[in-house]
Amino acid sequence: MSDALVLGKGLGRDFRRGVAALRDVHCRVVSGARIAMVGPSGSGKTTLLHILGGLDKPTAGTVEWPGLGPFDELRPRWIGIVFQSPSLFPALTVVQNVGLPLVLAGHPASAEPAAKALLASFGLDELGDKLPEELSGGQSQRVAMARALVMKPKLVLADEPTGQLDSITAQFFFDTVLERLEGTGTALVVATHDEAVAARMATRWTMDHGRLVSEWPRQDAA
Amino acid sequence: MMMLLWLRGVLTRRFPRVLGAAAGVAVTVALLTSMVLFLANASASMTARAVSAVPVDWQVQVISGADPEAIGKAIAEAAPIKAAHRVRYADAAGFEALAGGTTQTTGPGQVIALDEGYSKDFPAEIRLLSGSADGVLVAQQTAANLHVRPGDKVSIKRIGLPAVEVTIAGVVDLPDADSLFQAVGLPAQAAPQAPPDNVLVLPWRDWQQLFSPQAQQRPDTVRLQWHARLAHKALPSDPVQAHLSVTGAARNLEARTAGQALVADNLGSRLAAVREDALYASVLFLFLGLPGAALAIALTYAVTSSGGQRRRMEQALLRVRGATTRTILSLSAVEAAVSAIAGIAFGMGAALFFNPVSAPDRYATLRDPALLLVALLGLLLGFAAFLLPAWRDAHWITVGAAQHADSRARAPLWQRLWLDLLLLAGAGLFFWLSASTGYKIVLAPEGVAATSVDYKAFIAPALLWVGMTLLVMRLSGMMIAHNSGLLRVILTPVAGPLTPIVSAALSRQSERLTIGIAMTALAVSFAASTAIFNATYNAQARVDAELTNGSDVTIFGTSDVPAGAHLAALTALTDALAVEPMQHRFAYVGADLQDLYGIDPGRIERATTLSDAYFSGTSAAGVLGQLAATPDGVLVSEETVQDFQLQQGDTINLRLLDARDHQYHPVAFRFIGVAREFPTAPKDSFLVANAAYVARMTGSDASEYVLMRAKGNPAELARQVASVLALYPALKVSDIGQAAHLIGSSLTAVDLRGLTRIELGFSVLMAAAAAGLMLALGFAERRRAFAILDAIGARPPQLAAFVWSEGLVIIVGGLVFGLISGTLTAWMLVKLLTGVFDPPPQALSVPWLYLAIMLGLVVASVAAAVRSARPSPGLVAEQLRDL
Repeated sequence: MSDALVLGKGLGRDFRRGVAALRDVHCRVVSGARIAMVGPSGSGKTTLLHILGGLDKPTAGTVEWPGLGPFDELRPRWIGIVFQSPSLFPALTVVQNVGLPLVLAGHPASAEPAAKALLASFGLDELGDKLPEELSGGQSQRVAMARALVMKPKLVLADEPTGQLDSITAQFFFDTVLERLEGTGTALVVATHDEAVAARMATRWTMDHGRLVSEWPRQDAA
Repeated sequence: MMMLLWLRGVLTRRFPRVLGAAAGVAVTVALLTSMVLFLANASASMTARAVSAVPVDWQVQVISGADPEAIGKAIAEAAPIKAAHRVRYADAAGFEALAGGTTQTTGPGQVIALDEGYSKDFPAEIRLLSGSADGVLVAQQTAANLHVRPGDKVSIKRIGLPAVEVTIAGVVDLPDADSLFQAVGLPAQAAPQAPPDNVLVLPWRDWQQLFSPQAQQRPDTVRLQWHARLAHKALPSDPVQAHLSVTGAARNLEARTAGQALVADNLGSRLAAVREDALYASVLFLFLGLPGAALAIALTYAVTSSGGQRRRMEQALLRVRGATTRTILSLSAVEAAVSAIAGIAFGMGAALFFNPVSAPDRYATLRDPALLLVALLGLLLGFAAFLLPAWRDAHWITVGAAQHADSRARAPLWQRLWLDLLLLAGAGLFFWLSASTGYKIVLAPEGVAATSVDYKAFIAPALLWVGMTLLVMRLSGMMIAHNSGLLRVILTPVAGPLTPIVSAALSRQSERLTIGIAMTALAVSFAASTAIFNATYNAQARVDAELTNGSDVTIFGTSDVPAGAHLAALTALTDALAVEPMQHRFAYVGADLQDLYGIDPGRIERATTLSDAYFSGTSAAGVLGQLAATPDGVLVSEETVQDFQLQQGDTINLRLLDARDHQYHPVAFRFIGVAREFPTAPKDSFLVANAAYVARMTGSDASEYVLMRAKGNPAELARQVASVLALYPALKVSDIGQAAHLIGSSLTAVDLRGLTRIELGFSVLMAAAAAGLMLALGFAERRRAFAILDAIGARPPQLAAFVWSEGLVIIVGGLVFGLISGTLTAWMLVKLLTGVFDPPPQALSVPWLYLAIMLGLVVASVAAAVRSARPSPGLVAEQLRDL
């Protein structure tokens, strides 16, 4: 059995006005997993992603990261996150945004070279000096993915990473992501409506009304 | 319906933005309301103070042949009168007395009589110095001239009649002799008449008996006046209105008594002088108050605009969804209305709470139209800050552009035109123009009703202020936008290893930071300049009071009753720090009688302060040293130097009264310098010499005055002195507090404490708001950016580095530029308003404590703003969803 990176037991998350975004979710992400989280809008995908990434706390149940370390050290070292909405720091250039996790982790000298290399691998090297406001939505998401990968994390959580890309660009982009993660043991959890992306993932979590209704095939089996 | 929904959404989701805008409006409204209330109160107190200082309001001279009782009736009908008495005047050819075996004779004089009850209703006109008030009274100077005391006889040389002899009962002082003996009916531009040197006051019946025959023979040599006091409570509280009321009533009286009486309107003249004081107050209000109001308005606009980018994006979304310009403006108006109305209510309420208006004026003041204007201005400000940008965006900017902040915008037009340097050059030019006129801002020549104000002088500080603000924006913009080494040096203490990335981030937010620095610098500059000016003004007001009073406590005596005779008893008082005697004599310089002060130059500074500004061309220490080294040295006024064309070292003969033979004899002095001011000296020419020399040459070492320094409270020392000297009513005890209160006709009478207290309080508030509130609102608009940092793994200290770096840039830039600008502005204000100070200050007084408090509050407000920027645990995910 692969090592579990994240364990969620009976997770629940209630918001104001009685909105139950998650209900009794049991989940596990193992090292090297490729998980597509699918489901209709409002089914709890983003909420679960945030909890697994340590950005949000469940109102019921527990979440642990036995394979990653203590909570305070999860990000940026072990978990990289790509958010659904544009999430680049507006006052930094693309290169500075991508290299920011390295700077925060205390490796400023390697930030720029690593960032440029990643951008080049995504075909975004010409955007290095631009500011986020000068990018298209698709470009922003790809840059955000580069930022999520720059620290070579053990777990990458991506929320609709190809949502603003055309099919050809999305395929190229996702190929690059999978290629970079190949053999690293990094787990990838992607919340997506894109069937082409979901089909390329080994495991599919189906969310419905806040519940994880199915996991197929199971990660161990994959 | 839609507007209500919008409003609910704004209040729910954007409450800090609405609150910030309301706070901005509240500050402006509160400041302006406080100023309006202060001016109303100050005007009222100014009238009351001026009115109480006038001994006799109206002097109505009855023309020969007219019916005095009819005139008296006309007076009572012209205005509400509290008291009216008759005074008789008679010219005398001279007085003569036998003293010490010699006959003393004076030149022409006046013999007056006051009717019954006069002294009770006009107590300031006559003060008993020695002897009894019942009987014939001789004026102090006349007694000195004739060498008479109570009990001595004086012969009055009547005009056209034989002389008559009277016995002196008492010696009096006539403090208001200038007015008492004024020539009623002279044109306004005529030169003031000097009061007679020789005066006797006879009982009413005695005067009638002795001078009725003279009145029949020579009616041109006798006069009758009515002296009236108006009912002051009936006067309007505003000095300008009071002046109109009194002068109107005086003209009415003149009309009623045309051809039968002449009216001297002392009260009207006094109110005219107060009107000039009110003019000075408005001048200072322009210099100090208007910039505060302008700053508050600018700050309000900046605060309400700090949420502009978000509003712009929201409005762009509405436009995408088909909202018309009218709809967008209506929605903005709703938000503006809520902010403005809340701000006005809170601002006015706070102002009224902290500036209570005393009854019975309360309701009149609250109905002041100026308050309504303030409320309208608050409304206008709130609407302008919201609607103008919305209208501009709807007409000039595409939706696409509105959805993005343009952080690479080109330099604004004013920068490309170098407007900041042009304005500073203009400030220098106008300042030089004012300097070339000797800084004569307000002209109010004595004896001339018309006044003028050089309003151009205001241009210099206004241009300086605006020019400095723009220069601050240029310099701070350059430092930040170019990610300069100086920026990194400033950030290193808080950003540490993150300095490069933090400075890079800040360099792309230079426009926002520059505005924050400029607003903070503007507020700090205003606070600093107001505080320094106020401190300098208060210091000079004390100097002026000390000049008038002489010291903390001064005992004023006469040659007959010198205060110096009680030196031992005064020195023994526990609260007395230093006690020094000073001679006060009279000396003829040519035909001009001047005050002569005899001092011990080695000791005088123990009891009083002598400023370098009191002397021309040399320091106080230098002058005193020269006087000590020149026993027969004398300091004279500039006018005397001009009149006699004196050169340093010239001999000047002064005629002094010799105590041995009671005659005036010439005494040689050597001219060693010019004295412009001296403690207790009048505004007219005066002389300062060595007391020892004067004593030797006049045969009298009496010291008429005594100057005293207090260990603690001067008023307490004055009470002790008054107690010791209770048996000597001729000795007048005055403390510096009374002098400060009594300084009435110069600008020091205008109580700027109220205005500057308002301004200094609001300055601190505005400085804190400019720094902290704008920073906090900016952080609130960028919560998501900080949530992103948290989400990608920034530790709390690293998040703090980002937010504190912004705060530090605001603090350092705002305080450094603000203090430099404020000091420069204060220096300019003090120079331009030199006429306000009497004497002019030698240096600026810096209120270190106030500045320290202000700096502390600015730092505290920034700290509070920084704290508000930290993403709350558990809310990061929610803030990430916030589009």
